[in-house]
Amino acid sequence: MKINGFLKDVLGSSRVVKARRELIKSGSETAVFRDPINDVARELHPDVTHVKVTKVEDVSPTARKYTFEADQGDILPPFQCGQYVSIDLQIGDTLTTRPYSICSAPFEARTGEHPFFEITVRNGKPGTGYVSCWFYENVKAGDTFTAHLPFGQFYYEPLRDSHNVVALAGGSGITPFYSMAKEIEHGTLDINLTILYGSVSTKDIILEKQLKAVKSDKVRFINVISGDEAYDGEKGFLTAELIKKYSEGDTTYFVCGPLAMYHFVKGELDKLDVPSKRIRMEVFGAPRDITAAEGYPQDFNPQTFRLHVMRGIQEDIIEASSLEPFAVALERAGIKNRTRCRSGACGYCRCQVLDGDVFVPAEGDGRRMADKEFGFVHACSAYPLTECTIRIPIL
Amino acid sequence: MAFYKDKYDVIVIGGALAGMSCAMKLASEGKSVLILERHNLPGGLATSFVRSGIEMEATLHEMMSIGPEERPLFIREYLDEMGVRINWLRVPEAYRLLSPKDSIDIIIHPGRRDDGTWIAADEIEAQYPGSRDEVNRLLETCKSVYESVLFLNEHTASKLTLLLKHEPLTKTAGYSAQEVMDKAFNLSDDVKHILSAYWIYVGQPISTLPFTIYSFLMADYLLGGSFVAKGFSHEMSAAMAHRCEELGVQFEYCQDVEKILVRNNHVYGVRTKRGDEIHCDYVASAPYPNVVYAKMIEPQSEVPAMARKYADAMPLGVTTFSVVMQLDKRPEELNINDYSVFSSNIPFDTDVFWKQGKQLGNWSNLTTICLNYANPDAVPEGKTSLSITFLPLADAFMNITADEYQDMKRRIAKQMIEQVSEYLGVDLLEHIEEIEIESPMTIAHYAKAYRGGIYGYQHSMNNSVVARLEDVEKEMWIKGLVGCASHQLVGDGMACNINNGKIAAKMILEEMKKEAK
Repeated sequence: MKINGFLKDVLGSSRVVKARRELIKSGSETAVFRDPINDVARELHPDVTHVKVTKVEDVSPTARKYTFEADQGDILPPFQCGQYVSIDLQIGDTLTTRPYSICSAPFEARTGEHPFFEITVRNGKPGTGYVSCWFYENVKAGDTFTAHLPFGQFYYEPLRDSHNVVALAGGSGITPFYSMAKEIEHGTLDINLTILYGSVSTKDIILEKQLKAVKSDKVRFINVISGDEAYDGEKGFLTAELIKKYSEGDTTYFVCGPLAMYHFVKGELDKLDVPSKRIRMEVFGAPRDITAAEGYPQDFNPQTFRLHVMRGIQEDIIEASSLEPFAVALERAGIKNRTRCRSGACGYCRCQVLDGDVFVPAEGDGRRMADKEFGFVHACSAYPLTECTIRIPIL
Repeated sequence: MAFYKDKYDVIVIGGALAGMSCAMKLASEGKSVLILERHNLPGGLATSFVRSGIEMEATLHEMMSIGPEERPLFIREYLDEMGVRINWLRVPEAYRLLSPKDSIDIIIHPGRRDDGTWIAADEIEAQYPGSRDEVNRLLETCKSVYESVLFLNEHTASKLTLLLKHEPLTKTAGYSAQEVMDKAFNLSDDVKHILSAYWIYVGQPISTLPFTIYSFLMADYLLGGSFVAKGFSHEMSAAMAHRCEELGVQFEYCQDVEKILVRNNHVYGVRTKRGDEIHCDYVASAPYPNVVYAKMIEPQSEVPAMARKYADAMPLGVTTFSVVMQLDKRPEELNINDYSVFSSNIPFDTDVFWKQGKQLGNWSNLTTICLNYANPDAVPEGKTSLSITFLPLADAFMNITADEYQDMKRRIAKQMIEQVSEYLGVDLLEHIEEIEIESPMTIAHYAKAYRGGIYGYQHSMNNSVVARLEDVEKEMWIKGLVGCASHQLVGDGMACNINNGKIAAKMILEEMKKEAK
């Protein structure tokens, strides 16, 4: 038998031990540390980017475009059209963050003498958009912020999406499409883009001048006005009929706008039998009224509970309204907490509920299966129903 | 007001599988343990992600060392002993190897009968008549080596005991899998290829892979089959994190440890990026020795010359490139009929495959996993969850810039999808609903692993596990500092990392006893 002839050697282990010791001895004491893969990973996904507002421009009677450049020697990371930036905001004693779709083009953040990115903020209606009101009224050129970017999956993926893209936008949901249009004009995004932008009246249109200035035969921009019978152009809502009119062949639909618009547009796309892989929806933020969410306990009276917040071996007790997610309670108490999408999707604010009952709206619940089982929630989309104890990271 | 205790017995840097395993073991022995994890999730690479409400597996192909409930293998036993409950699901086959250039297309199943014959040997015999006895003999040898390795995992043995009781291990320890298969067995090239398909799960070509490791892989997978967790690999991670906390481990997320504090050649604490200095007697470290010795030890004058030599000399193992997709049809509608397929579009040769790992793309040997066949409930009705993976070397990615990154990723992913589409006879590019592409930079981003490495150091002949075992205690270059991840003794893989953590805990417990004297 072959094995008897070959495997008589019992010194093999000594041999490999010797080989390894020699290998280690051959190592350099003075080798220079080099890890370009981690360097690139950090450049792509910096923990934090210091930024400064360099320009503020009105882009509608109620919306402003803010230009940011990197500050303190940082550089802006690359991003893809449709991704968002999360900006840390201190408003009084409250520490919060807001996600804003980047409306400038990716190439503008990585080229030129003053690389920049831009966001557009619409003045919130009283009582519904506290932070956007504050941002709109207060932020001016020269202000500095810490920002986190890029985030989000609302971007054109050539391996998946059709070359023909129809954007269905409402309100400030137009912003990612301005980014796409500019990148197409620059020749670095090769798609055909038709933007159908629904507004109540012409004065609600954001970035109109900018979008009309985009020079590319691959970009079409169509306003759709629902509240003005006299409007000379497309009137009404983003209906199946209208969507069909502007779609040519295999099309991917990108939808970005207020929650009510998602529900309406989804129904219209279903009428056209658009397959699910051809529909991309941006996440839509926290519900304005959690008690109206599907599955919310009936006859539950809004109230304020004690919230025990565990960080390491420290416990803090704060107040938490049943109408607001944990993330907001923490922010009001000035406790640092890391939120990004604020829609329940991204999981940056993952935390553990040690005790108490919590409501998590099913719509936008981005939790992992095992996290649900072990009592983890995303603080931006978990609402207390009793006194609770949660464990959050030490930040 | 303080977030941390004044002092811990042990601080574990990195709450991945090894770190949690180490912490559980130490806590179950009554030690005070703090885990500092830089991410906001447990498990390191053992994780999942959610896209458009659909959870997708990030990394796990199959867990080894679990085995069926009635015949558990050692990691299932260890997790049971530690009180970790995981919903295991059995993977149907071992693998399908598809290498058209060699006319190989075979499906191998796990299973051994009491008379020492293996189902795989019958399956190979059916296509390659006359090979059954030699395949059985090879697998029995593997099993014998495997059992010896498991024995040595729990006990120490004298050279004489090794020789008397662990003869197959002793006699094969100096040889590669290739040498043993070539010289000690009568196997045709095709059969050798078929029995080399698992090479990718160590990322080491058969010619330089110690037979010891080869045996472990073959015997473990073919005895016990392989498993996945019902709640993706994140279930494993979440269940272990949960158990850690039940055992009294303090587990802190979002804590990036920047420094390991050393004086008089003994660790005494760590400092986090946040600025907390936390004290302890022992540190179990997931960061690679390369990073630990070059960047983390404070002061740097405490790094012994041998530690630097060691880190520089250790050959870095593979990283990963993986395309994870949800497809818009059922697997059978896409001609996908197997859980695990190893395919090659050139003649099967692990040396060539491994060398291809130094280039950016155009990799011939791909692993395709269809989760539906092991965990159908995890995939939405009417859809397919599919991943395509190759494990290249970090060298290939060292010159990619941030601006080239997206295009590079998509170009390679497209190649890989087209390559699989070709053998399926179905254009998968027309069926993608969700797609995520994972690269070495992805690994670096989430785990900060040195050069995006996923498998620690190579299991090469000059870095054999037998040699590692011999010297493991001598390589505690700084007292109280123990490695705890795939760069340690038993190397890569999720099950191995649970074992690495257990070994790290045992080393720390030993040191504690010694130092107490």
